[in-house]
Amino acid sequence: MRTFRPIPFLLAAALATLASARPALAAGIPDRPEKLTFPPFTFSPPSAAAYRTTLPSGPVAYVAEDRELPLVSISITLRGGRYLDPAGKEGLAELTGYLLSRAGTKSFTAEEQEERLAFLAANAGSSIGDDRGGVSLNLLSKDLDEGLKILREILTEPRFQESRLTLRKEQLLTEMKTRNDESQEIESRERSFLALGEGFFSNRFPTKASIDSIRREDLVAFHREWFDPRNMIVAASGDFSRAEMVKKLDALFAAWPYQGKAAPAVPKPDHQMPAGLFLVDKDVNQGRVSILLPGVLRTDPDFFAIQLMNDILGGGGFTSRITNRVRSDEGLAYSASSRVSGGVWFPGLVSVSFQSKVRTCSYATQIVLEEMGRMKSAEVTDEELLTAKRSFVETLSRRFATKSQTMGLFVDEELTGRFGLDPAYYSNFRANVEKVTKADVKRAAERLLATGSATVLVVGKKSDLLSPDPKHPVPYPSLTGGKVTDLPLRDPMTMKPVAAPPSR
Amino acid sequence: MKRRSRPVLFTIALWGVTAGSAPLLSAEAKKSDPKAEIKVEERTLSNGMRLLLYPRPDEPTISGGWVAHVGSANERPGITGISHLFEHMMFKGSQAIGTKDYKKDLEIIAEQEKVRGEIRAEEAKLRTAYRRGEIDDVTRPENKSARQKELEKKFDELVKAQREILVKNEFDRIYTKAGGSGMNAFTNKDMTVYFITVPKNKLGLWMWMESDRLASPVFREFYAERDVVFEERRLRTESTPTGKLEEAFEEMFWHGHPYTWPVIGYPSDIPAITKAQADDYFSLYYAPNNLTAILVGDFDPKEAVALAERYFGRIPRGKTPPPEMTTLPPRWEAEMRLIGEAETNPQVAIDWHTVAFQHRDSYPLQVLAQLLNGRTGRLFKGLVLPVDAVATSASAAQESGRYAGSFGIAAECKEGKRPEETEKAIDAEIEKLQKELVPAEELQKVKNNSAANSFRRLSSNMAILIQTLVNDGLGDWREINEGPKRIQAVTAEEVRRVAQTYLTKENRGVAVFTRKGSAAAPSPDEAALASLPEQARPMVKQLLQRVGTEKDPEKLKAMISQMESQSSSVPPEMKKGLDLVLARAKERLAELAKPEKK
Repeated sequence: MRTFRPIPFLLAAALATLASARPALAAGIPDRPEKLTFPPFTFSPPSAAAYRTTLPSGPVAYVAEDRELPLVSISITLRGGRYLDPAGKEGLAELTGYLLSRAGTKSFTAEEQEERLAFLAANAGSSIGDDRGGVSLNLLSKDLDEGLKILREILTEPRFQESRLTLRKEQLLTEMKTRNDESQEIESRERSFLALGEGFFSNRFPTKASIDSIRREDLVAFHREWFDPRNMIVAASGDFSRAEMVKKLDALFAAWPYQGKAAPAVPKPDHQMPAGLFLVDKDVNQGRVSILLPGVLRTDPDFFAIQLMNDILGGGGFTSRITNRVRSDEGLAYSASSRVSGGVWFPGLVSVSFQSKVRTCSYATQIVLEEMGRMKSAEVTDEELLTAKRSFVETLSRRFATKSQTMGLFVDEELTGRFGLDPAYYSNFRANVEKVTKADVKRAAERLLATGSATVLVVGKKSDLLSPDPKHPVPYPSLTGGKVTDLPLRDPMTMKPVAAPPSR
Repeated sequence: MKRRSRPVLFTIALWGVTAGSAPLLSAEAKKSDPKAEIKVEERTLSNGMRLLLYPRPDEPTISGGWVAHVGSANERPGITGISHLFEHMMFKGSQAIGTKDYKKDLEIIAEQEKVRGEIRAEEAKLRTAYRRGEIDDVTRPENKSARQKELEKKFDELVKAQREILVKNEFDRIYTKAGGSGMNAFTNKDMTVYFITVPKNKLGLWMWMESDRLASPVFREFYAERDVVFEERRLRTESTPTGKLEEAFEEMFWHGHPYTWPVIGYPSDIPAITKAQADDYFSLYYAPNNLTAILVGDFDPKEAVALAERYFGRIPRGKTPPPEMTTLPPRWEAEMRLIGEAETNPQVAIDWHTVAFQHRDSYPLQVLAQLLNGRTGRLFKGLVLPVDAVATSASAAQESGRYAGSFGIAAECKEGKRPEETEKAIDAEIEKLQKELVPAEELQKVKNNSAANSFRRLSSNMAILIQTLVNDGLGDWREINEGPKRIQAVTAEEVRRVAQTYLTKENRGVAVFTRKGSAAAPSPDEAALASLPEQARPMVKQLLQRVGTEKDPEKLKAMISQMESQSSSVPPEMKKGLDLVLARAKERLAELAKPEKK
């Protein structure tokens, strides 16, 4: 190993320092970037209303012509999701969503349909998640009419071919076996249990028994019940004439062959987050830590202040306090950040998460709790608030970078009801960010960062977690009022708790 | 397939790899369609730095980036991981950015380096002690000498002093305040790439910031960042189920070539890299003549050229050109196999040595991969779909690196199938491709998808930027437009020829992973034994065996009473074991008391 020696590069720089404050700059280059001037530019977000239309056959559609490339992109978003799974058949929504476009239609077997789409280089897909589903098609504009014909069959007459159902069930069961393999997956599951309660729909995981019980008839029934045009919102963008596309989309939903139901509202959790420290013993050399607190709805009057508060605390990457201390100062983690999710259907979550070598997890947790406390005890600086505001306002255009992204965003506004309640959300975005004060940010922190009652989840090798690095010997239990709960691993196929494996 | 996501790419910050995941190598253009071309204007500045410009007014932004033609292939054992660590250091500021007092900052850094020199001497002693078996782990903090702890304290004091004048993460703060987004960087075996998106009126800021960090970088907070990088290694490699096995497979497959070591670096190299090594590395590989800057977005190319000459042109050309990486991949003429257990589903991966970027055979090999991939591909039809399927998923890829390439197939075994069966099925698919010509329609399907993807890849400024940077990093940005045309020209005969030439047994590495401990579920006794202290296990195991085979109830009774009398006096670490044997002895006794079955 080489020992220290002065480096020519630094020497040269040091010599230059003697002559002036810093090395001479080329002509016309200011010594600080603040001295640069820029041409004025203010981004105005597009208006959803300009793209919105209600198709005579039912669904609302957002349609944008975009002739740059000879491609067309169509996506149909479905209200409804995993919360519609009947008890005992967890996984039904997911299976129906996945197989809708991958298990044939009335006129084509799965194999025939896939061959045809592949030959046309058309990408078709479908899925159903927690609170919404979707079917999408991206293809060359020359093949639009054939694509729409296939899409109509996918939407109205899916075959749900038995062989593909069997295959998908096998794939899901194989995947299920990996539920305890990654510490990340364990963390994310347990975090959800702690935050929303085990009985909440998003925590009713498919099991071997529930997957085994699902039959083709269940998929057919689920599809007929919920794939109703009134549950759908459409987005289309690309190489077409808007007027013609609107006509074609109308035809896509016209004369729907059966009567379904309007999707019910997404359920709300009824759960109190438990305070204290929760440990999952997993033999890995890096611990995963989540610090959780109840959050808010995104319609909360403080939501802009809350987002700016989060940006300064840990949401803003390298400009945020948690990243600065846990990562840059101490070198304790590669990724350390906070997040405040504004809930759409029910209040979201405040969470701080990071990963650190197991024996420094408690020290990093202490730093994070300290930083959360500091947000409440003193106002942020002018510079911090300005940086956060600029970051929100100046990057707004990125959400509208492409036509297909813009249409997708408008569909989201429609589905979640914000378009109806607050159609000027994006045009007022800048003003709403600008008016947040330092006092607002402090108030938001006081409201949300009740560190004394935080839920702290740690996944890592327990014996090391409880034996902190001697340089910063922070005993974990002392950070959370002494209460420590061991969380058992779950049997991957039943999700029932199993005895924790012995620590070695 | 899981193994395809092996960590060959490391970043300054967690990155949702949207732009980077664009199908670079399968991109394809119709010869006649000008819309699929990326029309790049190319300039070379007076100092040898190259500049590529692609005006695209569709978005009100500019995505800007640059590629340094250096990656882990330019390293050597001892400094593995330096390219990537270096990538992190490029965000630490310059003489102008990141400090309130540049002169004092330099003085403190010089002081810090002196102390680090002394710490290194202590670390060397630790390694010696480890080699002699005097300590078990060089990283365990308890093993540090008193001298080292004292020096580290001294170093921490200097860090504190530096923090007084530090402007924390100022580089990021300036960009963020100006509306920069998506700032990140990555390192792989061949290149190091930096990029960001700024509002369209901030071209001048991009020029200032990027040229400044190249003109006068200061690698402050070097040692804390080295720890950050080690956490990145833990995150991606060490605490994932298959990370270390994948690293071992790469090591084995590329044996004898610099692609062998991990981009993130060996675990003992990362914490040993010195700032002096980083400084040397910078002056050699980050000279303007080894860099290409690229802009995509809403800007005036004339203005961009003038600004680039003023800002980047001030950086002097490197004194010596970076040395060529001369090692050619050796031919071992023997199949290599890696068999490992991990917390993962059983899976198989086969990699064959093939060809580097722009080799004429790379195009039929790309076509070959696409013939195998997807829901109409041969792997899905042959391995996943049949009633007697052997896999739940399977995929293939030709990876053409700057210095060498490989063709890989990976599959996850279906429940109840052994990896050998899955491997055999892969071999059968390969054999068909080696014997029979691909039907015209199947080949056309692959070409059609290539052609459509050559449009899809053009969706955003950032996506176009990343592809251009990567192709330039591999050796020639023009491949973006030329490669797709060459794919259209691939014939069925060529596909068969490359399958015959490259996909042979002696040219491959095979990785077989099975689930750890899946051979048989542990018996209750085994599980209980595992919970005992290590030193107690052999004796308890022996006693359990005796108890389990003892047929004489009287002998068992005697053992039980003896153990009961000892129970209160055994050392605590043995108590649990004794209780276990006692319980089993009583069970055995009860069993013997039962009337014998016929």
